Amino acid sequence: MGREDLIGTDHPLTERQRRTLAVALDLIVPASEDGRKPSAAEVDVLGYIRSAEPETLSALGEQLDRLDAEAKARHGSDFAPLAAASRQTLVDDIRAREPRFLGTLALQTVACYYQDDRVLQALGMEARPPFPKGFDVPAGDLSLLDPVLQRGKLYREA
Amino acid sequence: MAEDVVDVLIVGAGASGAAAAWSLAETRMRVVCLEQGGWMDPARYPSTGRDWEMRQAREFQTSPNLRRRAADYPVKDADSPIAILNFNAVGGSTILYSAHFPRFHPSDFRVRSLDAVADDWPIDYAVLEPFFAANDRNVGVAGLAGDPAIPAHQPPLPPVPLGRMGETMGRGFNKLGWHWWPSDSAIATRSYNGRGQCLNLGPCNAGCAQGAKSSADITYWPMAQRAGVELRTHCRVREITVGERDMATGVVYFDADGVERHQRAEVVVLACNGVGTPRLLLNAASARFPDGLANRSGLVGRNLMLHPWGHVAGVFDEPLESHFGPQGCCILSQEFYETEPQRDFVRGYNMQITRGGAPVATARAGIAGGAIPWGAGHHEAFERIYDRTIHLGICCEDLPEERNRVTLDAELTDSHGIPAPKIDYVLSENSRRMLDHGLEKGAEAMRAAGAREVHPTPSPIRMAGWHLLGTARMGTDPERSVVNEWGRSHDVRNLFIVDGSVFVTSGGVNPTTTIQAVALYIADSMKKNLANLFD
Repeated sequence: MGREDLIGTDHPLTERQRRTLAVALDLIVPASEDGRKPSAAEVDVLGYIRSAEPETLSALGEQLDRLDAEAKARHGSDFAPLAAASRQTLVDDIRAREPRFLGTLALQTVACYYQDDRVLQALGMEARPPFPKGFDVPAGDLSLLDPVLQRGKLYREA
Repeated sequence: MAEDVVDVLIVGAGASGAAAAWSLAETRMRVVCLEQGGWMDPARYPSTGRDWEMRQAREFQTSPNLRRRAADYPVKDADSPIAILNFNAVGGSTILYSAHFPRFHPSDFRVRSLDAVADDWPIDYAVLEPFFAANDRNVGVAGLAGDPAIPAHQPPLPPVPLGRMGETMGRGFNKLGWHWWPSDSAIATRSYNGRGQCLNLGPCNAGCAQGAKSSADITYWPMAQRAGVELRTHCRVREITVGERDMATGVVYFDADGVERHQRAEVVVLACNGVGTPRLLLNAASARFPDGLANRSGLVGRNLMLHPWGHVAGVFDEPLESHFGPQGCCILSQEFYETEPQRDFVRGYNMQITRGGAPVATARAGIAGGAIPWGAGHHEAFERIYDRTIHLGICCEDLPEERNRVTLDAELTDSHGIPAPKIDYVLSENSRRMLDHGLEKGAEAMRAAGAREVHPTPSPIRMAGWHLLGTARMGTDPERSVVNEWGRSHDVRNLFIVDGSVFVTSGGVNPTTTIQAVALYIADSMKKNLANLFD
């Protein structure tokens, strides 16, 4: 076992697992082509998981190990150094057999990603909580109700 | 020292208990309320933080089985296609409700006479109308007078904003010639009774940090407490005690320190909702009441009605800013609310237009359902859905059936060792047909409004069992009902029930305003009958 397989005191995953995680995150949400939205590998998904759902870290580590093991079996290499097309094929193959593989990670990834300042700003939103500023919503055109009023009473007397 | 005896002891500080407490305070009797939860702190509601979407999804789970706050009790609902949802705190489930506040229709109280199904209520819309109006004033209801689908009334506050999505759906309904109207909403659209005006934060269903949503902790409770009602929090009632002449003598409860206490009372009022109330009555079985307290009819826990819920999502081409504004309040359509003989079901349903998902909710639903892929195409798919989605909920009237019921689970208990409720519920054929009709019509409405994609969700939606009704029904016949026409137990003459348990039928709309109107009516009846309350 090398250093990269040791879990540090400040990290719940090994260095190898973190490398694998980074490329897996990029597979789930890559950067947008226009460059306005970052890759999920650039937001702190691991920090989010540690804070919000630490009980899932162990299963995540096992799934990342499986990616490396499959990559080794097929290509004689860890998952991270593979060409993008090979990584994609490998994950697609596993998910074809096991649709829930990395499913929890995908949900955690988008939960973290779509709370990130850069992402919200790219969506045209201010990076802030709803309260206290709130939002403006147009009252709307109530004259649209005229046809409804013209129908008269709709309920049954009882 | 003589044991402390209060005049009225209310169990439960949610929508109905709060309304009844406020009304009864006028008598100057000593009124005490026991609530198993505590006060919520609006400053800590999710919308105050950047991580609000995930805090809502975790800490404000709608199912007590998943949420597991200290105040929650478990509910065995695996045998029901609809899960039981609630919230346990001062304000009860109004802490999380969407504040969609339509009233029952007059026909809802006369289903036997009009449609030859179920039973008529012993009271009617006209009896409740003044209490609906009082409730509108007390909680601050926003709406637009003139809705032709409901008897005339004047909400005290202007309606919630339609936004572009409300206008879009309104035009769609107009194209079909269908009814629609801005929903009555328990939301302060202007400053009201010291509460701030709605800021369109969005997640009303995770608690309103602004205090604009009319949850019972900030509407009735401040008024009730100012009038002298004592509210004891973190007090979980184990059983109702009964003495001579089959009269309730009080309740046994665990206080905030877990100490078991007995509170004596001249009158006991249950306000624990359609699951909590039968649970308490069934847990109070004794030699005199072997099948549970106040259950000589055998109907305590039976006739559970849950409003089977359907859902249709429409995705539009143009941005609609659809996730801004009060999540559950926009417009409704009651085109299919009343019975029509040519349909293959009786009674009907309400269509509730709700706002779209915020970014995290949109992405998680898209990833889970396959509409948003991993990798290439992720961003394009997200942007095709986000801010362009409108939701339509279908609230079906659920008719009472004795097989649908609340009992006690043989093994499951809450943290105090009190047996937990167990739910047995089967969707009726009438509800199945109504749901199918609603899904078809909901999709038709979305297409008429211009939706590019229409996605009906397999229904009934499991996580939609908010409306807990019918398990201690009211009526004049002690053989066929649990309480009389003003909420008093037929069997225990100083025991009253004021929550949705007493509903004879369920209507086809979110029930909170009707629950509160019934609670105010029962409290008013108690006041009018004070001289001979137990006769």
